[in-house]
Amino acid sequence: MKKLIYITLAFFPFVSWGQIDRSLIPSAAEAPTINIKDSEVFKTKNGITVILSENHKIPKVSFQLSMGNDPIPEGPKAGIAGLMGEMVMSGTSNKSKDQLDNETDYIGARLSAGSSSMYLSVMTKYLDKGLGLMSDVLMNANFPESEFDRLVKQYESGLKSAKSDPGQMASNADAKVNYDATHPYSEVMTEESLKSIKLEDVKQLYKFLYVPEGSYLVIVGDITHADAEKVVDQYFGSWTGGKVYKGRPLSSKPANGKNVAFVAKPGAVQSVINVSLPMNIEPGDPDQIGLSVMYQVFGGNGFGTRLMQNLREDKAYTYGCYARPDIDEHGSLATISGNFRNAVSDSAITQIIYEIEKITTELGTEEELETTKAAMAGSFARSLENPQTIARFALNIEKYGLDKDYYKNYLKKLAAVDKNEVLRLAKKYMSAENMNIVVVGNEEVLPKLAKFDSDGKILKLDAYGNAVIEKKAADVSADQLIEKHVLAVTQTTSLKKAKKKLKKISSYERIVDFTSAQIPFPLKMIDVWIKPNMEGNKMEAQGMVFQSSYFNGVAGSSTNMQTGKKDMTAEEIKAKLKTVGIIPEMNYKLTGMQYDLQGIEVVDGKDMYVLHTNDGASDRFDYFDKTSFMKMRTVIVETEDGESSTSELTFMDYTSQGGLMNPGKINLAAGPMVLEGNVSSYKVNEKLTLEAFK
Amino acid sequence: MKQLFCIGVLALFTGNAFSQSKVDYVEYDLPNGLHVILHQEKSTPIVAVSILYHVGSKNEKVGRTGFAHFFEHLLFEGSQNIERGEYDKLVEGNGGTLNANTSNDRTFYYEILPSNQLELGLWLESERLLHAKVEKIGIETQRSVVKEEKRQRVDNQPYASFITETFKRMFVDHPYNWVPIGSMEDLDAAQEEDYVNFYRTYYVPSNATLSIAGDLDIEQTKKWIDKYFASIPAGQAINLVRDYENLSDADFKSTYGADKSVLDGQDYVNPKSAEAKKLLNKYAAMPTSIVRPPNYTGKLTSVIADTVYDNIQLPGLFITYNFPNQTDPDFYALEMMNEILSGGSSSRLNKSIVEKKELAVNAFSFPYGLEAGGIGIFGAIASGEADLTVLLAAIDEEISRMQTELVSQEEFEKIRNKMENDLITMNSSVAGIAENLADNHVYYGSAARTNTMLAGYLKVSREDIMRVAKKYLTPDARLLLYYLPKGN
Repeated sequence: MKKLIYITLAFFPFVSWGQIDRSLIPSAAEAPTINIKDSEVFKTKNGITVILSENHKIPKVSFQLSMGNDPIPEGPKAGIAGLMGEMVMSGTSNKSKDQLDNETDYIGARLSAGSSSMYLSVMTKYLDKGLGLMSDVLMNANFPESEFDRLVKQYESGLKSAKSDPGQMASNADAKVNYDATHPYSEVMTEESLKSIKLEDVKQLYKFLYVPEGSYLVIVGDITHADAEKVVDQYFGSWTGGKVYKGRPLSSKPANGKNVAFVAKPGAVQSVINVSLPMNIEPGDPDQIGLSVMYQVFGGNGFGTRLMQNLREDKAYTYGCYARPDIDEHGSLATISGNFRNAVSDSAITQIIYEIEKITTELGTEEELETTKAAMAGSFARSLENPQTIARFALNIEKYGLDKDYYKNYLKKLAAVDKNEVLRLAKKYMSAENMNIVVVGNEEVLPKLAKFDSDGKILKLDAYGNAVIEKKAADVSADQLIEKHVLAVTQTTSLKKAKKKLKKISSYERIVDFTSAQIPFPLKMIDVWIKPNMEGNKMEAQGMVFQSSYFNGVAGSSTNMQTGKKDMTAEEIKAKLKTVGIIPEMNYKLTGMQYDLQGIEVVDGKDMYVLHTNDGASDRFDYFDKTSFMKMRTVIVETEDGESSTSELTFMDYTSQGGLMNPGKINLAAGPMVLEGNVSSYKVNEKLTLEAFK
Repeated sequence: MKQLFCIGVLALFTGNAFSQSKVDYVEYDLPNGLHVILHQEKSTPIVAVSILYHVGSKNEKVGRTGFAHFFEHLLFEGSQNIERGEYDKLVEGNGGTLNANTSNDRTFYYEILPSNQLELGLWLESERLLHAKVEKIGIETQRSVVKEEKRQRVDNQPYASFITETFKRMFVDHPYNWVPIGSMEDLDAAQEEDYVNFYRTYYVPSNATLSIAGDLDIEQTKKWIDKYFASIPAGQAINLVRDYENLSDADFKSTYGADKSVLDGQDYVNPKSAEAKKLLNKYAAMPTSIVRPPNYTGKLTSVIADTVYDNIQLPGLFITYNFPNQTDPDFYALEMMNEILSGGSSSRLNKSIVEKKELAVNAFSFPYGLEAGGIGIFGAIASGEADLTVLLAAIDEEISRMQTELVSQEEFEKIRNKMENDLITMNSSVAGIAENLADNHVYYGSAARTNTMLAGYLKVSREDIMRVAKKYLTPDARLLLYYLPKGN
């Protein structure tokens, strides 16, 4: 009997719990200590920095290799790096793709590659086999043509399906509005850019980017230091390559006013809204931890943030709305994003702006800040469960030159952030007046968005983030347009008067001083024209002529510093004769130029006539302001060997000079290169020769 | 010849022993029927506290689809002791994170906390179980939030309706006919009595599994569990307590034939007054009864073909077969068959349909095992110009190969390695372990399955795989769903 009682008691060991007061919130036990194990760092002879985070909890090891390249500008071949990265796994000089896939899956491993990275995760017992595959791909990828053709087809389908994926559409638009056109982050693959990518380009890019110099290899998991050194030497020791790519310093584009960009998604029942706030801050900046606290209060993880409490728990506009600061050495920005049903899409933006206004002008409460900091400390502790976190810490310390104890002191630094600091950082990095608002949604929400844009003009983008060209029928004919343009340039009231005025001009010389973010020195461009059809042009810098061209009415040549002098071909002469002159449009009828008026397009919020011409060598699109009839923009599309390249000239600040209206500023964009030019001199009827241009 | 040689080399690896690291745990029942599972894992100072309620969309009535999931949202609103909006704050403000999810069969709540806040987690979950409180404003807000969730996850996503469309046709006259997100109309139709009945029926200790994993002390944890959960009365006494807290004196008396004042509002398990003891014991002895829907026995007897027009660019194809319940012994073989067909780059569907024939941008398949039924879904999104009938023929070719040829030894070993790797990964976080233990207890009748899953896969033979392919992938009884772009 005694025994029986004992058994029962053992079964229900604490039967007498008595009363409890459920209204009391349990207090915390003693805080656990958080240990961050040091990762080990060593360098290889060929320039790899190895970071090892040993962890024997589960019998797996991972290898994350990232090359040290800066993001690479892709220009007209936008998307090539992604394609290359995917193709790296298409076979090696030793193994076909089928063999590679089969052997990887056989050992239950994961092996993947990107344009500047590779990743392997493998069970410890198959370590050697897995690394053998990884190093083979790393050094011997062979890019078979059949795989290239297949992937291009897959990408064509992928580009098509991007048009129905609202998240993808929004991120494409974000790329365009937050970075300059010359920033690699602004580049988005399109159907055209995919077409211009050739297999040879892909192979070259692999050679260029897959180099050991400056790379990081992060090893995490069930492996000892000695074994790690051994396998690194065995599988990565013979890896060679050229110099690591370092580009010019990059940053995001500061938002100027409030700009709304809209991407139409027919049939959408919700809008994807991304509000971006570009910031000027680099990884490891002393403001970084405070900034992350500020953003956690504002709209970080969890349900308790200001955005969630307002937009979800109070207004029920959304399932979730979050803000995330993205601090990146090549351009930082914060993005506030959420999905909102059509009827409240505009109200959601109003509330987001209200919250930005509030956090940048008012101190928060002590309770809110303490709760937030506790949440962040907890999240920090939870993140340590994943051994990858510890390795990431070590990688950041190495990569950004952070203090050795940066993460060990994280909790201390977190605790030190106070209310005033949060307000200071909000004021410094956020503004309710400057932001880029991207909305992907149904056309029905569009009319309600204009009020958020500083100038009321909404930028309409397509699925890939490119401006949607809206064309209207022109209300004049091509010849009428040319006549109005001639009158506008000559500031006369009839063609007869215009011709009389132009007759008196026998020559002009124009000097433009160009600067560019991509070129460290200023450039000077000199253009001359001598009656009736002689022309010269040269580009020089620091006293050196880079390129020049001349045409004397019957023959001509062009000279380039690298390729030397070339005489004009018969076709080039024929084409040239169609475009020469102060106002070449006047002569189109006589010179046999093909021309047609395509309609009215809205460019930067202004109506412009688009006149298309073809001189036999290239297509040109000239944009004339609908009210002033001045030429505002010229787009030239040249096609050579099936590949087309586009360059663009923009004209601004017209004033009257030598009796004619002339631009004070000329910008030139070709591929990823952008030149900004000021016209420093414009002279007419000087005595000129073409000698200097030959 | 080179190919053959490589295969021979691969086979050399089969000498390796398979292993599954063992998950140790303690489990027991409280007198009120709550099942408790504890797993200690001290490597990180965190702890995952979870409760699995054995209720999902299959327990809903026609006209109230989506209710179980909606109710999950409401149970974050607060309790008798936790004000509206405080639940999240208490977790996040103490360094934790929380969430929940609802499936066809279960509703799963969890907190991951710093290990010194384990008692807080237990108190929070016990409050949710004993006496959650939902105000009208909370109901209206969450109703809209759930609708936004549906728009975001289903209505505005290309192809995302295929699960709804498939279940609708595969499960007739059974609550698997609808999916957990339910319909907008039904969400609007929910009434006060629905909330009350749902809570009283399904949110009771005997229908719940408390699973805790992480940096914990087993004995201390048991003490806290006794304090917060053993103090919740058994049977219908829990609803008596809920009525005590919510009903007026008169209503309470007319329901229970006793004055409210006999209870002291503190101790519901060992009250001091004899009258209270008698009343509580009487109701504790009355079981809560849950009528569970029967297993789905209907099977397709012919091919059903339907077309759905969606906001998509590329056409898609979804093929569905009747599968057994997830607990059926055949399920191990079906999962392995599925890996051969669509697991990883070297899988048959990827190699043949995506890479060789270039008919699709991706091809996938998954067994959808449920507690009371199952289906197997195959699908592909066509590449640019591909014809769906050609795509279907190509998938059928692979399925028929599966049914007529024995899987090669090499391919078989590959899948066994893959299963081992997946199981290692599954148990790499404390939250994953807590969930895995609870699932195995509830669906398979034993948390011990957590440690025997690998053995289950290793028992499957190549012949088993061919057998299940023949048995379940029936060409003359299946659903074909064609997805086409709207406006074509």
